[in-house]
Amino acid sequence: MAGEEPILKINNIEVKYHEVILVLKGVSIEVPKRSIVALLGANGAGKSTTLKAISGLLKHENGEVTDGSIEFMGERIDRLSAEKIAKMGIVQVIEGRRVFEHLTVEQNLKVGAHLRRDGRSIKEGLEMVYNYFPRLREKRNEIAGFVSGGEQQMTVVGRALMTNPKLILLDEPSMGLAPLLIHEIFNIITRLNREENISILLVEQNAKLALNVAPYAYVMENGRIVMDDTAERLRENPDIKDFYLGLTDVGGRKSFRDVKHYKRRKRWLT
Amino acid sequence: MELFLMTLTTGIMVGGIYALIALGWVLIYKCSGVLNLAMGELTLIGAYVSLSFYSMGIPFLLALLFSLIIGFILGILTERIFLDRLIGEPILTVIMVTVGLSFFFRGIVELIWGTDTRVFTPPVFPLEPIHIGPLIVGQVYLWSFVAAIILLCIFVVFFQYTRWGLAMQATADDEMAALSLGVSARFVYATAWAIAFMAAGVGGTLLGNINGLNISVGYLGLLVLPAVVLGGLNSVPGAIMGGIIIGVLQNLSGAYLDRYFPGGVKEIAPFVFMAVFLLFKPYGLWGWERIERV
Repeated sequence: MAGEEPILKINNIEVKYHEVILVLKGVSIEVPKRSIVALLGANGAGKSTTLKAISGLLKHENGEVTDGSIEFMGERIDRLSAEKIAKMGIVQVIEGRRVFEHLTVEQNLKVGAHLRRDGRSIKEGLEMVYNYFPRLREKRNEIAGFVSGGEQQMTVVGRALMTNPKLILLDEPSMGLAPLLIHEIFNIITRLNREENISILLVEQNAKLALNVAPYAYVMENGRIVMDDTAERLRENPDIKDFYLGLTDVGGRKSFRDVKHYKRRKRWLT
Repeated sequence: MELFLMTLTTGIMVGGIYALIALGWVLIYKCSGVLNLAMGELTLIGAYVSLSFYSMGIPFLLALLFSLIIGFILGILTERIFLDRLIGEPILTVIMVTVGLSFFFRGIVELIWGTDTRVFTPPVFPLEPIHIGPLIVGQVYLWSFVAAIILLCIFVVFFQYTRWGLAMQATADDEMAALSLGVSARFVYATAWAIAFMAAGVGGTLLGNINGLNISVGYLGLLVLPAVVLGGLNSVPGAIMGGIIIGVLQNLSGAYLDRYFPGGVKEIAPFVFMAVFLLFKPYGLWGWERIERV
């Protein structure tokens, strides 16, 4: 990784829900400036919890970072409220396209601009979002609850963009979308990273997709980081190939008849 | 026929005031999911505050403005002191707290202002009625209606176009997502209470102008409950329509049914109507049904 100080540094955090349920057991992640980092893992591995720990939304769900630290641009943020963290330039796009259903698309975007105070900056923000997502301009006056799934995903990403973020935490932007749309959205995500210099921490189930856009990735299982490496090397890793990319060691399609992958997975659980 | 038209207009005009109080109710429900059962007492407090200022010889509009300001402050204080620490607790707990608040406020009102009926003296609105075509309308009703409509418009504009209005609507829709964008939920709740207090205060003041002011104006505030439920608990236009419908219903039943069921049918009719209506439309007129995309 680059020698430059990372924008986000998660240091061995432990997260508990309701003071007893241990969900994250020592997770460390670094996101370098202006980069995309992917966080892979199966359901329930703790990816979303990690994101919520960063954005501070955890507290809202009765969760707490009980150990370790999270630093954003050199400042500790794991004790701050979600509101303060958002003000510092971290925005989380919550999984599942959570648009404000009863507001129009443009009103959704305007709520994203809640922290921008003057009208000119809001206009500029809207222009920028509409440039990246021309489809939203056409739908601007429609009720967000009724636009298509892809447009809702664009709305929430655009809304996050309106906060003028330095770091976006993207939780499964591909969920339930058609392949072509996913392609479009991921293209825009890469562009945002390159053109607006926004760092992105991307949570994905779709490992192939994630490893295409993110040069570096972490793999989570059972509340722990079990692996982290550059995308190329992860793509070559036999375990990753097997579990996440659906390819066997030889590189051919996997036959599910002879999978015994639980045996291999055991190696990761300590 | 003339009687019908007369009661209808009066109903609509009183309904405008109900709509104002209903709006405060809907607001708190929308933002925090809490049914505020102290709403009747909020109307009392606002009404008494403006009455006190008015009795001191301050012009009515100014007195109203003062009661708005005090309502705003009281709203924020109430939220901060009683409800802030209950964020995240079960909704029922919070609702019970509002019941407690209603007794508390009622006690305070009785303590400060007593239980005798007070009237705005000299009368704020001229006593002689206005003739509109064949109709004769009391000026109190007319001006109250106008004031209520103006305020309602202001509130609607606030919700649709201002930063905090949008933030409040967003919080009502999806609190978590709003939080992730840096909206302060605590501030939203506090504002909701402040606005509820203000709306209720104006509503109470106007009601007090019509019939004089005593503790029973607080029960009139509770009468708004059917209006809110009728319109759909979380719909602002619903609250406005519901308020007007209840106003009309109340006056019509007072005019026509009182003969057959003497004694207070006016007060019960809205609740009966609400119960029957909900059998057919459980979400109310404009309540949020879950949005299902097809």
